[in-house]
Amino acid sequence: MSKYSLPKNFDYKDVNILKQFITETGKIIPARVTGVTASNQRKLTKYIKIARFLALIPYTDMHK
Amino acid sequence: MNKYEAVIILNPNLSSKADSFLKEFETLLSSNSFKIIKTEDVGRRQLAYSINNHNKGHYLLFNLEGDPSKLIEIENKIKYNESIIRHLFINVKSHNGEDSQLLVESKTKKKDSEVEDISSKVEAKETIETEKKDNKEEDADKMEDKTKTENDSVEVKDE
Repeated sequence: MSKYSLPKNFDYKDVNILKQFITETGKIIPARVTGVTASNQRKLTKYIKIARFLALIPYTDMHK
Repeated sequence: MNKYEAVIILNPNLSSKADSFLKEFETLLSSNSFKIIKTEDVGRRQLAYSINNHNKGHYLLFNLEGDPSKLIEIENKIKYNESIIRHLFINVKSHNGEDSQLLVESKTKKKDSEVEDISSKVEAKETIETEKKDNKEEDADKMEDKTKTENDSVEVKDE
């Protein structure tokens, strides 16, 4: 089992999955590091950005 | 007819009035010929960052079906509702009938808070026993997740 695991279906509400693919500072980790397929990476970035807007995931660690 | 998912974050100070808001929102939707397929009341949740000086928010999730032209009217009305601190409508291809991860989490958290009181006592006992037994075992316990330590504590009890 690799460090980064993705189920078949996921969306912006699956915070625990999305949290695997952001750094401690809140940046999205590139696919070349995680080894995620290109199509999944596109989904991930989309969902992470939605989750950020809904305050489920931080944009950065500098939030006051 | 398009399918939508809606997320609405309510002011946490007004979360006791969430039910009345839900009714209001439902009438607003039905007056704009929107169908509500599913509603999920996640409840209060910690925000990842503060919005309008709120650190918590009352999350409501909806699965909707309706016309895009009507959606603009709904959003215009929601904009000026001060009890809503954030809202989002997303166009989706199909609705997932299952409960969202957020709702499942909030449910399990409620259960955990009840269980925690008992498990914390058990863990305290366990640490005393492991200290007596071996230092190596203790290190291993620290590495493991809470759930695993709970299982271990049960095993210790059986012995």
